[in-house]
Amino acid sequence: MKRVLLLVTSLVLCLSFAAAQSLPADLYTRGAAGKKGVVATAKPDSAQVGIDILKKGGNAVDAAVAIGFAQGVLEPNANGLGGGGFMIIKLANMKQAVVIDFREVAPAAATADMYKFGPDGKMLGAIKPDGSTFAYGATYVGGLASGVPGDVAGLLYALEHYGSRKLSRAQVMQPAIDWCMKVPVTANLAGSIKDNYDRFKLFPAAEKLYLKDGLPYEVGDVIQNPDLQRTLKIIQAKGAKGFYEGEIAQKIAAEIQAEGGIITVEDLKNYKVQERKPATGTYRGYTILSTPPASSGGTHVVELLNIMENYDLAALGPNTTKALHYWAEAMKLVYADRAKYMADTAFVKVPVQGLTSKEYAKERLALISDDKILTMPPEGDPWKYDSGNTTSFSVMDSQGNMVACTKSINYFFGSGVIIPGTGIVMNNHMDDFVPKPGSANSIEPGKRPLSSMSPTLVLDSKGRSFMTLGAAGGMRIITAVAQVISNVIDQKMPIEDAISAPRITAWPGDIYAEGRIPAMSVDGLTKMGHKVQIQDLYYPSQGVCQGCVYDWNTRTLYGGGDPRRDGQAKAY
Amino acid sequence: MKAIERIIAAAAFAAAFCFAGAAQTYKLKAPIADRPALLTSAGQSADVEMVKVLMNRIKVPYTMNAQIKAGEFKASGAKSIVVAIGGSSKGLGAAGVSSDVELARIKAVIAEAKKAGCRIIGLHIGGEARRGQLSDVFIRDIVPLCDYVIVVSEGNKDGLITQLCQKANIPLDSVDKISAVSGPLAKAFK
Repeated sequence: MKRVLLLVTSLVLCLSFAAAQSLPADLYTRGAAGKKGVVATAKPDSAQVGIDILKKGGNAVDAAVAIGFAQGVLEPNANGLGGGGFMIIKLANMKQAVVIDFREVAPAAATADMYKFGPDGKMLGAIKPDGSTFAYGATYVGGLASGVPGDVAGLLYALEHYGSRKLSRAQVMQPAIDWCMKVPVTANLAGSIKDNYDRFKLFPAAEKLYLKDGLPYEVGDVIQNPDLQRTLKIIQAKGAKGFYEGEIAQKIAAEIQAEGGIITVEDLKNYKVQERKPATGTYRGYTILSTPPASSGGTHVVELLNIMENYDLAALGPNTTKALHYWAEAMKLVYADRAKYMADTAFVKVPVQGLTSKEYAKERLALISDDKILTMPPEGDPWKYDSGNTTSFSVMDSQGNMVACTKSINYFFGSGVIIPGTGIVMNNHMDDFVPKPGSANSIEPGKRPLSSMSPTLVLDSKGRSFMTLGAAGGMRIITAVAQVISNVIDQKMPIEDAISAPRITAWPGDIYAEGRIPAMSVDGLTKMGHKVQIQDLYYPSQGVCQGCVYDWNTRTLYGGGDPRRDGQAKAY
Repeated sequence: MKAIERIIAAAAFAAAFCFAGAAQTYKLKAPIADRPALLTSAGQSADVEMVKVLMNRIKVPYTMNAQIKAGEFKASGAKSIVVAIGGSSKGLGAAGVSSDVELARIKAVIAEAKKAGCRIIGLHIGGEARRGQLSDVFIRDIVPLCDYVIVVSEGNKDGLITQLCQKANIPLDSVDKISAVSGPLAKAFK
């Protein structure tokens, strides 16, 4: 007995030591609480930018726009002026929420068959004007991978139409400009730079900006980006025209074309933000307001919650075998619907109403068995390997103003193309289209590629602002946002715990479970026939959420930052 | 001593052993590798390109062939191997090989080099981000074949590389940054 105790104690100590090596930094300090305002972003410094703007008298939109520009400087691997995104806004004086769609669009010269494939079926690289080609597929690396960016247009549209007008564009953009010369290299950013080292070597501007004497920047280093600072100052002075016309636009078009792409100055000049109504639903008396097409995210967050509403998740408990089985089966069905129906509604008819209806959810529910697993048709899912290394942030204040925004350049460091002299990292969001004709999500000029971004607002049963959240992580955004909502509403978790709690995602085939999912549940799922792939304890690609909640009883705002990357909430 | 005290003492000893095991390194005492070197990869991560920068900095003559095969080593004229250990699914995909094929390749090359009396310097510089199931496959199999290993400490937080080196009695130097690898790497060459 004593020997057993000795061995067990030793084992626990050794395992604890080993496990401690994998935990994120500052694990227990990512959340925040305050009475007046709260922000949750993917970087502590941009969270502080948001709080500072609120303290200066800006509203939630002012703060969100300031964060948006700052985030592009501080997390250049995941978003920036060369990308696009979605923002959902509901100010206290608004009857309806609005969605600002600033997703990239396919250039005017784009065609459904613009990407070529070799005899082995692999996508070929973009061809540069000198005839050379990239070794990587054309939707991944090079000029042909980029859609026309919407980041600047979207952020400034939001500011102009929904900002407080108490703070000028200059004031809102200044923090981002200031951060350009002191970008801290965190473990997350350093890892991303290392991972993309081979792509940086393809582009002199990228090498110059993100490598130090030929080697990656490392944790603790500081990156200076004077070109980006200059670009932001031009936009600060001239507004959106400073980006979409004139010197910057000419540089973008020239470099994109030099790297095998087809974006023109006309494409940039013609870029338009779309304002949309949210995809809506309800969940246990709460109202869900989320992002409609061209993002699939909001519709499928609602669909997933509609299905899960039929289970007593509170009674089942978080991450039990049964609960995870139902989540996984529902996720498979939702992703199957996404693959079949989703696209830019400006070009394709998408049954959003049907997909978000309770009746349809009941139909899908009927396919889920308590003890057998769904075997889905073996159709290919061309978006299964999407990336979407994105950023998301949320802002709430005590008046009930709410903003959630998710934006991206797609893969970390986008297409690898950095526009010389501007610091702009170009997106590779053309990769989110189906690269061949015949799909709802095939390429057409001016069309937005399908997204999974799901910035979401939740109202309580009295119609009051309750929660804002969004996530990074490609298609896993949908499942992450739904699970966090359930963690808050069903499991009554504080927002930080709800975000930090282990998650799964599932599509036809496997369940992908973070390492903290209880071993008993994994065993139970396996015995049911599921194939469970275990990932990191805090998997940085399992949907990375930032969210805020308002407790009307105590009049306290809470924010949660995701420890899977550099997420941080701040409040005052 | 009461029984419970003995148990606690033993547990504390076990914990100390764990810590000690993770922290201890055996440093290289004298140069071991002849020039010129062959720079190659075990796992096809981009780390080999970073090691190329380091080799240029320390001005040791080398040839680079990330995918050199057994039978080609002799023709390279190299008298030692520097191998960047780190798995990358992207890199393996670009090279058109599976991890099994890659592992077999590098093992065969190392075997050929050892037979010729050449020393093997292993580097793991990718840090924590480079650790994962795929990389660990290469680390577990290739580190024990090396004559000297240099690691960026962040990639050895769990002590795996230390344990492997201890078990095989391989000198190990640990540095905090990639740029600091130059020092011990230069000293490894005669």
